[in-house]
Amino acid sequence: MKKISFSLVIVALLLLTACGGQKAAGGTSGAPVKITYMEWGDPAELDVWKAIVSDFEAANPNITVDVQVSDWDSYWTKLKTLLAANSSPDVFAMDAPLYLDYQARGSLLNLQPYIDKNPGMLDGLFPITLEAYKTPQGYFGLPRDFQTIVVFYNKDMFDKAGVAYPKAGWTYDDLRATAKALTKDTKGDGTIDQFGYVIDPWDMEPGWSEIVWAYGGDIISADHTKTLVGEPKARQAWQFLYDMMHVDKSIPDPNTTSQYGGDLFLSGNAAMMAMGHWAVPSYSEATFKWDVVPMPTGPAGQATSVNSAGFVIGKDSAHPDAAFAFIKFVLSQAGQTRLAQMGFACPVLKSVAASPAFLQQKAQINNQIFIDSLAYAHMKPVFKGYDEWASVVGDGLTPVWNGEADLTTTLDKIVVDADAVLAKNK
Amino acid sequence: MDYGLKPLGREKLWLGVMLGPTLIGLVFGALGSILATLVLSFTHWDLLTPITPAGFSNYVALFTNPAYLKALINTFEFSAMYVPGVVIVSMFVAVLMDSKIRGISIFRTIYFLPAVTSAVATALVWNMIYGKDTGILNYYLSSLGFQTVCWLCTKNAMVSVVIVNIWGAIGEGMIIFLAGLTAIPSEYYEAASIDGANVFQVFFGITLPLVTPSIFFQTLISTINAFQAYDYIYMMTRQGQGDSSVPVVVFSIYRNAWNFFNYGGASAQAIELAVLVILLMGFYFWLERRYVVYE
Amino acid sequence: MNRTKQKNLLDLVTYLLLIAGGVLMLGPFLWMVATSFKLPADQFTHTLIPNPATLENFRNLFSFDLNFPKLFLNSTIISLLTVIGQMLTCAMAAFCFAVVKFRGRGLLFTLLLVTLMIPEQVTLIPNFIIFKWLHLVGTSVPLWLPAFWGGAFGTFLLRQYFLTIPRELVDAARVDGASLWQIFWRIYLPLGKPALAALAIFTFQGAWNDLLHPLVYMPTVPNTTLTVGLAFFQTQLTLGGRFTVLMAGALLSILPLVVVFFFAQKQFIEGIALSGLKR
Repeated sequence: MKKISFSLVIVALLLLTACGGQKAAGGTSGAPVKITYMEWGDPAELDVWKAIVSDFEAANPNITVDVQVSDWDSYWTKLKTLLAANSSPDVFAMDAPLYLDYQARGSLLNLQPYIDKNPGMLDGLFPITLEAYKTPQGYFGLPRDFQTIVVFYNKDMFDKAGVAYPKAGWTYDDLRATAKALTKDTKGDGTIDQFGYVIDPWDMEPGWSEIVWAYGGDIISADHTKTLVGEPKARQAWQFLYDMMHVDKSIPDPNTTSQYGGDLFLSGNAAMMAMGHWAVPSYSEATFKWDVVPMPTGPAGQATSVNSAGFVIGKDSAHPDAAFAFIKFVLSQAGQTRLAQMGFACPVLKSVAASPAFLQQKAQINNQIFIDSLAYAHMKPVFKGYDEWASVVGDGLTPVWNGEADLTTTLDKIVVDADAVLAKNK
Repeated sequence: MDYGLKPLGREKLWLGVMLGPTLIGLVFGALGSILATLVLSFTHWDLLTPITPAGFSNYVALFTNPAYLKALINTFEFSAMYVPGVVIVSMFVAVLMDSKIRGISIFRTIYFLPAVTSAVATALVWNMIYGKDTGILNYYLSSLGFQTVCWLCTKNAMVSVVIVNIWGAIGEGMIIFLAGLTAIPSEYYEAASIDGANVFQVFFGITLPLVTPSIFFQTLISTINAFQAYDYIYMMTRQGQGDSSVPVVVFSIYRNAWNFFNYGGASAQAIELAVLVILLMGFYFWLERRYVVYE
Repeated sequence: MNRTKQKNLLDLVTYLLLIAGGVLMLGPFLWMVATSFKLPADQFTHTLIPNPATLENFRNLFSFDLNFPKLFLNSTIISLLTVIGQMLTCAMAAFCFAVVKFRGRGLLFTLLLVTLMIPEQVTLIPNFIIFKWLHLVGTSVPLWLPAFWGGAFGTFLLRQYFLTIPRELVDAARVDGASLWQIFWRIYLPLGKPALAALAIFTFQGAWNDLLHPLVYMPTVPNTTLTVGLAFFQTQLTLGGRFTVLMAGALLSILPLVVVFFFAQKQFIEGIALSGLKR
């Protein structure tokens, strides 16, 4: 009887597939082709991408692009499931630090032959944004837009406290003094409820990489074998952050942050925050006036972080030419202009970064600062095993930030654990 | 429990028809993926490159990785508070709900609301409730002159998330018990009422013994849910983009599978979790044979 | 007389307890409702009555081109098919496990329960590969088809309930010459209504709120479910601190569940009347 039921189900399945299945048309040249582009984002981004796609389709009548957008966490789950089942999308978005995890595992198509067929294609792009995707075999991905980190500050809060706004060229000591002046117990209940400065100490990008570099330290060695966050200069930076958090109490510790449920800067509980351009659209609805200022200068000079979102093509894409044509279009003046208007990120194409499309947005802030920051920006490290390494460091330091563990000994241990992750991913 | 109708003659066919879908599901769905998980737990797989054998190394890692051991201990601690909490509270609620008073449908719906609300919204609301200045709980505590409490700080976070998880599970538990309570023949209550039994005598003499099948079910399901709980926990206590301040096993499975390119390790953790629950299940079934009253 | 008094007192106590508990259960939910009608600037205020109240969050939600009616329809179809599949196949299997004697019953039941123990994070990929092999990825079939394969949770739930149905009924029916199917159809299904209602609520809710499977199996909005469509907002809204819009979305997505629950719970009427059944 097991056999009977089984064949019944098979028949049912066949019927269902017959009704529901639509086979994709073959991809011979000239015939219409359909490619899939998958990325993370939100509904507002989807709207922009739909506009880009319709421009692209108008210019390339025989290519249609199916845009699939999901939120950040879902995106990676879906992408990995698809890749594991050999159903890779044609083009998909890539966060630069994770790029080598996919490239080194052979999931990506080498774009170099296509780039070679389009000489001068990369000339107009900011060179540093290309760094992350360079490999000895060429580019397996290209940047789509980039993020630099700057300090956002709440003007109303500064005005109220009678503190002067931060200015370009300020130092970390200025930051510390300013933050201290703005840290207050406004309710008078014995606990601080307004913080001078807020960072996400878990994350290197708007968290700690900028200060580590400004103190002359570094994150990992160029050959990706050694973790450098425990070196003496980096330790000075860690100590500086630790003192702001536990001596001045001008940076909230993670336990305190978690009690606010969301973004302390947006909720009006923090005067300054290290952040990227992605926060601009939602902050444009803030109820207070704010602006941005470059990262402060440290003993080893000024430093910030630059990271990019990019795209890659799946190794087994059936339509690599169409896929590359799409990438090329997004990197063009037209594509970059639309992306810039979206306001989440900075365009990688220099001409668009200098155009009103980027510089004059809904939020009346000095967008030029994000571009100028490139002059002293370090690339957010890109290496295999990034996610696990970042978790070892981030999770490892959390007890320190919460005042439950000692900084020095914890760093000693983290470096060992983090090096083990690097060794595993060699 | 060796009671049962013997199928007669052609009824064997009926038995096949009725069990057929379940058997197919077992063979082609569930058992297949369990077997796959078991096999994968002895391999290294990053999802992108071919699978390579790993021997027992994924299992050895279970005992040598301090972060994982912490998650395992947390999972047990969480379950030890959550399971009795859900079972007792939802049974109590169901007993109250099993009456004919006016407006009971409204009450039932109200108690069920937390169970259907999306986890993200629930976690956010509770974050606001537990919050420091923004939190309504501390707002009332301090306006009543009490010391405010840091609900989501490392030392209190476990209890705080258990409360939210129980809160979210009462609705479902209530339904299980309500359905179970309806199976108690009304004659029993009428007889007790004629004998002049008081509320407590009725509860302990009739309701409790006759609702043991539901208690058994709810305990087992709550245990499974407790061992697999992570959504509220991680939404409420995640530190930045990292781990939760109350790390639990399922979140570790999630990160290993989807963030760390370690599907083999995640599979081994899943198998270990399953084995632990199965052991507990064996214990429950032993209890069932002793204490659960059917019919 | 005295008994009526006692009954009234008991009802009063029940009411008081239910109201007290109801405040705890409803409080956070009410706050969610309140937040969804507040201006974003007021999202952290402690008042339960939004002042001023606004529909802006709902308008904001609908301002995106997500095709909510389509999402809603997809969710409804998938959830209903899931409910039908589960009620049918779980009830049949539960009847066999609870009532019929056959070889390997205990073992089979244990195996079934074991399938509950593996977290879905690790079974996702094996299942995905099976459905890819069946060419069903990209359709909604992988979301509801498994419901027609039975399921451990529903079978277990109904079996527990069926076990409490008095066996005299079965024996009496057998004497009258009823077949297995007749006993199932005429006795167990009607008497099992409360448990079936519970299962319907659970499966509808489970299918409606499922995020992982529609996400992986279906394309993007609008060809996916409402839950996935709303989750799409979440990361950005949470990071951007726009909780008011998020709450509005959450509120909309649970309305159908509340309606389903309200009608299904009417099946939880009190006790089986034994005498009435014996006829």
